[in-house]
Amino acid sequence: MPSLAEVQQQMRDAVVKGDANGMAALVAGGGDAGRRLAIHQRHYRASLVAALMGRYKATAWLMGSEAVERAAATFIREHPPVAPCIAEYGEAFPEYLSRHVTTNRAPYLAAFATLDWHLGRLAVAVDRPAVARAVWAALPPAGLVDLTVTCQLGLYYFTADRPIDELMRLYLTDAAPDRLALPETRAWVEVRGNRGSLTFARLSAGEFAFRKAAHTSAPLGRAVEQAFAADDRFDPSAALANLIDAHLVTDLDVAPGARHS
Amino acid sequence: MSSIPRSLSQSGVGLRLPHIEEAVAARPNAGWFEVHPENFLANPHGNELLQELARSYPISIHTVGLSVGSASGLDRRHLARVRALVDRIDPVLVSGHLAWSTHQGEYLNDLLPLPYTAETLAVVIRHLQEVQDGLGRPFLLENPSCYLGFIGSTMTEVQFLNELVDRSGCQLLCDVSNVCLSAHNMGYDAVAYLEGLPAHAVRELHLGGFTAEEDESRPGHDVLIDTHSTRVAEAAWDLYTHAVARFGATPTLIEWDNEIPSLGTLLEEAARADQIAQRTLSRGSAHALAR
Repeated sequence: MPSLAEVQQQMRDAVVKGDANGMAALVAGGGDAGRRLAIHQRHYRASLVAALMGRYKATAWLMGSEAVERAAATFIREHPPVAPCIAEYGEAFPEYLSRHVTTNRAPYLAAFATLDWHLGRLAVAVDRPAVARAVWAALPPAGLVDLTVTCQLGLYYFTADRPIDELMRLYLTDAAPDRLALPETRAWVEVRGNRGSLTFARLSAGEFAFRKAAHTSAPLGRAVEQAFAADDRFDPSAALANLIDAHLVTDLDVAPGARHS
Repeated sequence: MSSIPRSLSQSGVGLRLPHIEEAVAARPNAGWFEVHPENFLANPHGNELLQELARSYPISIHTVGLSVGSASGLDRRHLARVRALVDRIDPVLVSGHLAWSTHQGEYLNDLLPLPYTAETLAVVIRHLQEVQDGLGRPFLLENPSCYLGFIGSTMTEVQFLNELVDRSGCQLLCDVSNVCLSAHNMGYDAVAYLEGLPAHAVRELHLGGFTAEEDESRPGHDVLIDTHSTRVAEAAWDLYTHAVARFGATPTLIEWDNEIPSLGTLLEEAARADQIAQRTLSRGSAHALAR
């Protein structure tokens, strides 16, 4: 009898890669026990393909279920899950999909599938209480440059050279026409999710850069610099006011020395 | 909202995400609920609803990802996440499976069989102790649904479970449907299996649906698959009567994970379990009085 580690390596190969040669001599049960390995092989394949198809419903709608399912069937062999929560499985699938599915019809496939992934995450997000206006008002203006903020968890910022947010909205509202032209137009989009609801907002290039930088914990001074680099008409006062009004900020990290005494 | 007091003396149902909003809103007549933590750890909204439900119902946590049988070790990060959920929910029971599902950091999304050897026993005991220390409470281990065994096993599953109870201090979750299914698939006596389990350690019973399909290993015969996609089979209900007679009044749960029906259907199955348990227990009391 091989060691437990060796048995599990062989069973892993049987389940994931379909290579049951090593296992057949070790197992018992039924008439030809090796054939019962197929039950575990089928479960692995069916449960993970179903998980991906459930997670990428909009992508399957766009590309056709058959093509996405074919890619899913090979993805699960090459990329087994590495976390126990199946909802966390498949983040790398959009990039894989774009390499394995002919994308002549949809050059924006990877971006669309990535948005699909994030919508699954945002749909189960929960808004936390936003920092009160009075707390903002008490901050010394000079300290704002070094201030970093924590934003709501249910946010996703993306930019695309086609309006894939419009395409996704058509899918979500079941309102897609038979044919749709997606012109090459840059869009800067914020998607927000809270307790099952999703909202899409088009932003200017400057406000997008500002919010995205703030969301990734850049000090507000650097976020403003990035916003000006994207759009020289950027208005920092208005952008900050909008950020506060939208209840996007849940915590502040004021740099030492910038606090009111 | 119902004012019926909830308790483990009434059968519970496995609560899956499609039912949680309904359960929070309608407060159905279930004794308790059991959840898989892996469905909630990456779902803040589901987590929020679960915490609300935990104010009104006893909750049991049934892990599917701890993998106490893995030679490559426990995922301590996952154990810490489960512990955090346990601290938030304060469940009445915490359980998992006699199986393995992880290998070198990969999760194979299945409950895979173990050879019952001294080496495996040492691995599972070590991991059970780590899990019980990590969770700060006893851990119930569920008997697996089997399609395969290992030629190199040196003890039966019942012997293996007895050793685990004696040497790790774990308790047992007896999945009656799994006993029924495994006995059919592996060719042993289901009642003798129940008789061999240490009754004092059995703290929970499970009942779930399974499906018969053609056994590719034995043409002309069926193999039972643990699909959790249908009502509890009559053979499993019969075995449940034996289980109640053997283990006494024990918290019982209905599981249904695929092709999930209405919550009402799950509650019907739970009510049937209650009827069988009451009938069996009252018959046992009458026999005791007659003696």
